[in-house]
Amino acid sequence: MRNPGGYAYTFDPGGMRQEADSFTCSHCNHVVMVKPKCDPNDLGGMCRLCMKMICPACVDIGSCDPFEKKLDRYEKEHRRRIQM
Amino acid sequence: MANFAITNGSTSGGGTQQPTAAAYTGALIGITSSGTTPKRHKIYDVLIGTNGTPADNFVEWDISRVTAASTSTALAPTALDSADSASLLNVTVNSSTFGTITTGSNVFYIGVNQRASYRWVAAPGSELVAPATSSTGFQLRCRSAAYTGTATGTILFQEQ
Repeated sequence: MRNPGGYAYTFDPGGMRQEADSFTCSHCNHVVMVKPKCDPNDLGGMCRLCMKMICPACVDIGSCDPFEKKLDRYEKEHRRRIQM
Repeated sequence: MANFAITNGSTSGGGTQQPTAAAYTGALIGITSSGTTPKRHKIYDVLIGTNGTPADNFVEWDISRVTAASTSTALAPTALDSADSASLLNVTVNSSTFGTITTGSNVFYIGVNQRASYRWVAAPGSELVAPATSSTGFQLRCRSAAYTGTATGTILFQEQ
């Protein structure tokens, strides 16, 4: 995978080390492991609005709501509640 | 921005490692913002494994978002740079119960052979991020249909 968003490896019982790339969904922050030679459609897809990889669940939603914007909303709401 | 490490190993004051059950019952590690000084934090490295009698079982690992921390055992995370000040987050390890899990908030899930150890490292910009709001954060949990021993976890995170 080009420009992976993460990297995972496991040391299996036989001493074998298996490795995989991962990406983190730009809309919900979910980590998706990229299995070698898997169908790209099974991984999710690329949001053409924020141009970032997203997970299958967010592909089904069909709208762009970047996670960074969600964080800002949560924090703004939190600050507003504290001030009240 | 300071980086910290927390593990549920048998460090002083870390409580007792909890047995693994068929359902999620406790949390190996919990990281949440405090109610008074919430801080945005990012998990960028996760290491998991088991330390019981080896056998071929599967163990499911999960990191989910929480809106309330578990109750015990509070432990101060270790700053990776000793010049950094102490973390302002609430960090708990080896909890027999988990906090309030947000429904559908699973951000990391993997099934691993009990004999295997596993590590996930995020590239910069792809970390698991929690907002700077009261009592929000993450919890690392595991469950297994057959394995009933204890499990180990280490999380490296950045406090912003």
